[in-house]
Amino acid sequence: MKKMKVTINSKTLFLWTIFSCLLAWNGVYAQTDGRKITGKVSSSGKPLAAASVINKRTNIGASADNEGNFSIQAKTGDILVISDVGYIKKEIKVGTADFIDISLTQEQAKLDDVVVIGYGKARKVNLTSAQTSVTAKDMEKTVNTTIEQAFQGRAAGVYVTQNSGQPGGGISVAIRGISSINGNTEPLYVIDGVQVQGGGTTNSSNPLAGLNPADIEDIQVLQGPSATAIYGSRATNGVLMITTKRGKAGETKFNYGYQYNIQTPPKKLQVMDLPQYAQMVKEFHAIAGGVTPIEFLDPSLLGKGTDWQGELFNNAAMQKHQLSLSGGSNTTTYYMSGEYLKQEGVAIGSGFDRYGFRINLDNKPKDWITIGANLSFNQTNEQLTTSSEGVITNALELTPQVPVKNLNGSWGGSNDINGATQYAPVNPIAIASVRTNTNRRRQFLGGLNVGITLAKGLTLRTSFNTDINYSNSLYFNPTFDWGSNARNVNATLSNNIRMNTYWNWNQLLEYNKQFKKHNVSVMVSHESQESKWQNISAGRSGYLTNNVLDLQAGAALGAINGGGSGPWAMESYLGRLNYNFDNRYIVTGTIRKDGSSNFGPENRWGTFPSVSAAWRISQENFFKDVSFISDLKLRFETGLTGNQGNGGIFSPLNSNPSDLGTGFLPGRYGNPALQWEETNTNNIGLNIGFLKNRITIEGDYYVKNSNNLIMDNPLPWYMGTSGIGAVGNPAVNIGTLQTKGWGITINTTNIINQSFKWESNLNISSFETNIKKFYSDAAFVERTSWWLDNWTQRSSVGQAPWLFRGYVEEGLFQSVEEINKSAVRVDNNGNRLPTNEATGVWIGDVRYRDISGPNGVPDGIINFYDETNIGNPWPKLFGGFTNSFSYKGFDLSILITGTFGNDIYNHIAKVNNKTNTIYTSRNLLVTAMDYAKLGLDKNGMPAIMNPGTNVPRLTGSQIANDNNYGTTSSRWVEDGSFLRLKNVSLSYNLPASIMSRQKLVRGIRATIGAQNAATITGYSGFDPEVGSYVGGNASLTNQAIGLDNGRYPLTPIYTFSLNVNF
Amino acid sequence: MKKININGKILLSGILFSVIILTGCKKDFLEKPPTDSIVDANFYQSDEQVLAATSLLYSRVWFDYNDKASFNLGDFRSGTAFSAYNDRGNVLFNTTDINGENGAAWRSFFIVVGQSNLTMFNINKFAGPAVSPGVKKTAIAEARFMRALAYRYLTMNWGDVPIIENNIELLDDTTINKNTSKSVWRFITREMRAVAADLPETPLATGRISKWSAEGMLARFYLTRAGVEATGGVRNQVFLDSAKYYAQRVITNSGRALLDNYANLFKFPYDNGAESLFELQWVALSGGPGYGVGNSTPSYLNYSPDISVEGWGGDKGATWWMLSQYDGMESFGDTMIKGRTLDQRLKASYMLPGASYPEITQKLNGVNQKLVFPYITGDVNFASVKKYVIGKSEDLGFNVEPQRYPNNTYMLRLAEMYLIYAEATLGNNTSTSDATAVAYFNKVHTRSGLPAFSITDPITGLPNPLTLDAIFRERFIEFAMEGMGWYDLVSLHYYNPQKAYSILNSQDRGLYNIAPDAFPNPTSWTIKKTRWATNDRKINASLGNFLLPIPAQEKSQAPNLSKPAVDYP
Repeated sequence: MKKMKVTINSKTLFLWTIFSCLLAWNGVYAQTDGRKITGKVSSSGKPLAAASVINKRTNIGASADNEGNFSIQAKTGDILVISDVGYIKKEIKVGTADFIDISLTQEQAKLDDVVVIGYGKARKVNLTSAQTSVTAKDMEKTVNTTIEQAFQGRAAGVYVTQNSGQPGGGISVAIRGISSINGNTEPLYVIDGVQVQGGGTTNSSNPLAGLNPADIEDIQVLQGPSATAIYGSRATNGVLMITTKRGKAGETKFNYGYQYNIQTPPKKLQVMDLPQYAQMVKEFHAIAGGVTPIEFLDPSLLGKGTDWQGELFNNAAMQKHQLSLSGGSNTTTYYMSGEYLKQEGVAIGSGFDRYGFRINLDNKPKDWITIGANLSFNQTNEQLTTSSEGVITNALELTPQVPVKNLNGSWGGSNDINGATQYAPVNPIAIASVRTNTNRRRQFLGGLNVGITLAKGLTLRTSFNTDINYSNSLYFNPTFDWGSNARNVNATLSNNIRMNTYWNWNQLLEYNKQFKKHNVSVMVSHESQESKWQNISAGRSGYLTNNVLDLQAGAALGAINGGGSGPWAMESYLGRLNYNFDNRYIVTGTIRKDGSSNFGPENRWGTFPSVSAAWRISQENFFKDVSFISDLKLRFETGLTGNQGNGGIFSPLNSNPSDLGTGFLPGRYGNPALQWEETNTNNIGLNIGFLKNRITIEGDYYVKNSNNLIMDNPLPWYMGTSGIGAVGNPAVNIGTLQTKGWGITINTTNIINQSFKWESNLNISSFETNIKKFYSDAAFVERTSWWLDNWTQRSSVGQAPWLFRGYVEEGLFQSVEEINKSAVRVDNNGNRLPTNEATGVWIGDVRYRDISGPNGVPDGIINFYDETNIGNPWPKLFGGFTNSFSYKGFDLSILITGTFGNDIYNHIAKVNNKTNTIYTSRNLLVTAMDYAKLGLDKNGMPAIMNPGTNVPRLTGSQIANDNNYGTTSSRWVEDGSFLRLKNVSLSYNLPASIMSRQKLVRGIRATIGAQNAATITGYSGFDPEVGSYVGGNASLTNQAIGLDNGRYPLTPIYTFSLNVNF
Repeated sequence: MKKININGKILLSGILFSVIILTGCKKDFLEKPPTDSIVDANFYQSDEQVLAATSLLYSRVWFDYNDKASFNLGDFRSGTAFSAYNDRGNVLFNTTDINGENGAAWRSFFIVVGQSNLTMFNINKFAGPAVSPGVKKTAIAEARFMRALAYRYLTMNWGDVPIIENNIELLDDTTINKNTSKSVWRFITREMRAVAADLPETPLATGRISKWSAEGMLARFYLTRAGVEATGGVRNQVFLDSAKYYAQRVITNSGRALLDNYANLFKFPYDNGAESLFELQWVALSGGPGYGVGNSTPSYLNYSPDISVEGWGGDKGATWWMLSQYDGMESFGDTMIKGRTLDQRLKASYMLPGASYPEITQKLNGVNQKLVFPYITGDVNFASVKKYVIGKSEDLGFNVEPQRYPNNTYMLRLAEMYLIYAEATLGNNTSTSDATAVAYFNKVHTRSGLPAFSITDPITGLPNPLTLDAIFRERFIEFAMEGMGWYDLVSLHYYNPQKAYSILNSQDRGLYNIAPDAFPNPTSWTIKKTRWATNDRKINASLGNFLLPIPAQEKSQAPNLSKPAVDYP
């Protein structure tokens, strides 16, 4: 019965709040018995507009005006309840005074928040595990086309790099380093309970691109083992819990948001213009022989030529309309939203649009039952041509001599008759304009849940969630003829359809009990989930027109098709015990048992326990006197998470046609004994708050050990494991990885007074991953990009994963003497190349470091034994720094992100400094003009006339050019550190004094902002934020990290947005 | 009200719990075998399935070898053909440990080994009672045949190599040793004898191997092994006799016969003809099956896309040395070859300017016409490759896709048996006048349109016995562009390395220009060395660079290969 009363009271209160809001809105004041009491509500001297004042006896309330003033009828002895959102409620007994000055204290909102955790909720102060969060308020400050962009730079431990600046482009997220070599390193996303495994992507598109960031209320990043272990086998890479907005009881609220953005082109790389190009051609022919075209003989007569970067990159618009509707009654609340986003790309051949719709419903038909539903549908369209065709690389490489379009309106291209541009690469503008590469995706994401209160403190919940995806990608290569290097006589279309369905059904029992100072909560749950995917692909050629992009229009003869499908399932039992004594000592234990279809019956089930404890020292009596520390909590946690890999217990037979009938060959070595990969993490953490939590610091240090790494065993080739018809390497558990790292978050309220507030958030993290064990000490795993001069990354024992491989460059040979005493390459018969300008090594050629030889010691010969690790793609430090200022109706927010200590391999610089390619109509960076100019010194000895240069000599000698450019070398490894002004935004809320003059609109907020506004970096390419390589030829298991080959850059975005509440 | 509530709660919870228990009990929920392919344990259940398990051992597993390594190693290294601007490492006899074809060939032969082993393992493990013993025996013999042949290539290219008979057993073994070349030869002849005993005399299907394929291989193996086991340059007589024995058996019993016209051996469709003993069985279907089951070699040999969907062979062709080998092509000093030849094998192997190939369509100025090999004036042109070049969709009757040609690759044909017989009979002598040996030699020699070789010089009347050099030259010409020349030199190298080096080092592999006396339908050609192309005409073969180095990456990922080789039992 007591409980009933509470409900009624709170309900009444709630209604009153709404009612009083309405009163305030309408400016009508109810008059009842008693005398008129006036007063002023403020906090720290700042008036609280719209604070609510309720007379507890009469249940009649009033609302404060913009200056915080209110008036209400009350008798002496009545209790007034004064409240406002974000402030601690206060009760005041009416005395004799007719004027009451009331000061409310701000809630320690950040500490008293209830946050979402795995399979439940918890008070943030009582968390025992490392968990950081990003709220809607934070996210609103940046321009986020997709959700991952929203948490970049905002949470410690989360390393986010954008793989491509292409609209809708994919992102790499690494939480606390990487914990797998072959497997997925992306985190698990839990979107309102739907578990979506983040996956890498080989094209530039993003698997979570369908979600509307504006629908998101809150993102929790679970990092500590205790928080993640409840997700057991899927949580090794961390968990991102995304909660979408829900309705609140009360009047229906409309919100309309409009955003207009201009994206601007990247800063151009300095490539040669036409006179410079002509000059270089002339110099090349003077040195290497050959005929310089007549028009190049006097470069000063030439115009600038085509500026391909200028032609490719243009200002591009992005617009977004967003409408949401929320509200509800005491028993039913709802949130509905619809969105349309259209983003053009700054580079031709790219673009993204999205339509999204969401409805979140909550219903409480009885006081012991709740029913909820989240339903969302979205469709995205992506244009992927820019990345898939290497358009940016082409734009940097094509000679300025070729026009975009010829005088007759046709596309410019190589000229077969006039040999000057005979070998010119394809016209990037033309290829981006005529080839079609689109991907349309539709996603339904949603679920239903039911909660039943069985007894006091005992609830049963069950939820059913599903994620259904459909995508349709289309690639059309039309016929064209722009010269002999750019000709396609047979138009082809390929069309791929992929369907995924996933469902998850969870049943959960939770019990909470409080007796005296003991708080106990227990949760047990069972979950089953299953997914299936299916691919259908088809292609035809022989199109008679370039306008009909449908299979039907192609020739049936020669049509091709393919399929593919796969199932997966998992069943889990999990539980959590939380014990809290007096909010001082908190212990949490979790356990999860997962059974996965990826393993054979003997090893199917994995158990993932965790224990964590926290001691809130600040709650101790002895700490009461330490006034400057308001909160102090020590945490320790240890736990196990798992990784189930991608299967490998079976040995599937691949079928192929043959002259002897369809044949079958084993596609890989099956390993029925495959086991769970396990990551043990130990984490210690500290939360500390100073000066009434005006300064809070959260720090964590962790050591993660991943054992039994599931990976494809890198067997030697003699096991028949590499090539066409090979038996794929078996999946095995053979390695050990260790990651040590730390993260620190500092939140401060620097200034707070009546009208001005300045808050800061700084987070810095660091991790270092090391491979401890492999199949053998000599074994290594490589990712080789055969399409980029065999650029290779290696993971080997004792090193961080995926280090760049190559030769160490030690400058240019300056003298004959230097050559003669240095190691050089060898000729056909293993003899040292002669010191000779035409047939061997010469001054101005690159000198490489002699590191080793067949016997493990330097052997005076430069060959593959001298390859070593020349770069590390992982940062030493990364972080974000946010400052928010508010003054009256203005809010200013500045976000700076940065990384420090990671290397980038600048493949663009390598290719565009390759001086001898000038004769194949390839343009170069201006720096290439400073090639080593050979002459005689004052003693008559051959020497470099511009000795400071690091660009090798210009020569037609194949031997020299092979030496200078034929290898991957440390010369192109650059420091990728950067500091970026990621976002600046200034918003203005129209003051209530203006708003109150009309009744329709509740609030208007206008924002101007700039994203990626400025970057400080030593990196010489377009953009230092280089994620995983996406584009042609990349595959999930062979995706380069830290390689810049004309990656679509992130460019500045200038935003105007308007938000109107009705 | 309250009572109903509680009942409702209990009812609802009861339903939920019972469903939980039900879902928790479905045992096969976590059994998810692949849905898009068969797994090994469910296969090998019928004769048809067992044979389907070996059919790709005839093609796909050899793909990476056949692709470019076949002619890079087999022809470029032996000096019969060259590429002017590509594959220079192999042309200049400098196949390094990072050479692409070196790696591709190494990997491919071990794919043959691995897949053959796995096929045998799986058949033995999974074959059900419905599989007839004969089919099972044949299938296993097929796999052993492929493995033995792969090891023949492996040991001839790299010398000492590890013998792997069961990949599954050795999967985690990081200590595997190389085995000595000698013991590899012992292993593969032993294997091939067992295979010959197990295979049927008539193949189970056209294109599959028979006892005669295995015995033919034995003839080839024994001839080489006679050199492997030579003492002081004298070949092992027992093995020479074995080679002769098996060659004779195949000639007599196999039912195979030489085609009348040499050119028809390579005119599509020629697959599995009368002369064939073993071919890689490539397939190309309209609609283009996956990459790796069609023959990709023609793509690299086609001199131009004018005669097919693609052509990367514009700079490939016969070497100067090769052209000088044909009867009638007379050398004038060191700078000119002039003449004509009755040897039809020249035209069927290489294209000379003005030669007509009506079976191939050429697109000239946008118009399709019968191919007349163009004459390109200037300092450099090529005797482009004809063998295995079969034309384009219009010639083949279906849509050819790039790197997916249907024509088979000869791995063993009857002509070789005649020449093996002749060579084995000659044995350790300098020459032979054995009537059968000469007759067999002439079977091959005269088929090409040349007059019969006579052991009496027709003009002088002096004895003119058959020499090893003549047989060698016959082999170079007969098997040009079939990836054979190199292995002939390796066989020679086993017992007479100096002779192998002197053949190689005498060859000219440089640029030249061929001029026809008339166009089209020339009657003779004049071939001149390109004056300015003075570099890289000759190579320097020696013990140091004769065999291929094990690919660098393999050496670094398998340090065990650096250990000394041991004998395989």
